[in-house]
Amino acid sequence: MKAISIHRAGRCATHGERAAPTIAPIVVYGTSWCAATQAIRRHLDRREVPYHHFDIEKNPAAAARLRWMTGGSLRHPTVSVAGEVLVEPSLQEVDWALSRASLT
Amino acid sequence: MEGKPYSQRLLELEERFEQLEPLIPEGSEKEAMSVLHGIVQELWRHLRSGGPAPSTSALTLADIAELHRSAPPMEGEAQSTPLPVGAQAPDITLQDSNGRLVSLRDFGGQLVILIFYPLDWSPSCSDQLSLYQAESGEFARYGAQLLAVSADSIYSHGAWAAVRGLTFPLLADFEPKGEAARRYQVWRCADGFSERALYVIDKKGAIRYSYVSPKLSHVPDIYELYRVLDGLQARVHGAPQVAGRK
Repeated sequence: MKAISIHRAGRCATHGERAAPTIAPIVVYGTSWCAATQAIRRHLDRREVPYHHFDIEKNPAAAARLRWMTGGSLRHPTVSVAGEVLVEPSLQEVDWALSRASLT
Repeated sequence: MEGKPYSQRLLELEERFEQLEPLIPEGSEKEAMSVLHGIVQELWRHLRSGGPAPSTSALTLADIAELHRSAPPMEGEAQSTPLPVGAQAPDITLQDSNGRLVSLRDFGGQLVILIFYPLDWSPSCSDQLSLYQAESGEFARYGAQLLAVSADSIYSHGAWAAVRGLTFPLLADFEPKGEAARRYQVWRCADGFSERALYVIDKKGAIRYSYVSPKLSHVPDIYELYRVLDGLQARVHGAPQVAGRK
């Protein structure tokens, strides 16, 4: 997990401009104006859990990938935690998934 | 750990699934595979949540807090241009949810984040203010006071704050309706509520940041707000930013 060092607490490094990667342990798909996306990202920041973030409005490849994984939905935030795809999860659901994947 | 092998296997399968996406021609078969994948993920999520089926008989506090998710959408383009950076922030005095009068000048010598939002209970507003509540510790580290203003009554503010656990002041721009929002140039006359707007006001009462969301449903980017607060901090202390934000 340590090798995936994209977002760290207090930093906003990517804004979704990166090329589409292979799947990372934690990926947050969302938009810059979505409060729920912001809440999940800040939650991960506070817990110092590294994650990839893709702004689906700025990154068509990420949007296509999201659509592919969710059966056509572009609902956000969608969080992928070690292969579990959570569409509009609560923070608690994200924490459970992190715990199941031993990522915290 | 019990979860590790499962997690690793699922990760590998997801990786393979993702890599297949560009290799499959567009069409109904591809769509069906995608839908099936979505179904599997949702079933797995439901099984993992492990809770009983939600009760349909009694409305809980959590149900009420989530009502905004099924509420009619709030749509519309921005109609206003906010007051400019550098201008003196107009003073406003409004009642909070306890009926106490709160004035901007009460917070002289303190950084203030003044939030104008359309309405209590509405989509986006609910998530926006809960986000700020979750960030309250961070705002405190900047020495920033949050003040949120909408055209709702003090009673609506009180109920909404209780349901959502909001502890910062919600001010009622209720009578004369929208007067504070008008002074800040963010009132939407035809709608009867304000724009979704942010102002950062420095210790001397000058506006240091002003923003109106281009769409009512769009919540300002909190990372942008932190960049602004970092900038102000640097200007005052010569430091790049608050160290170790979490």
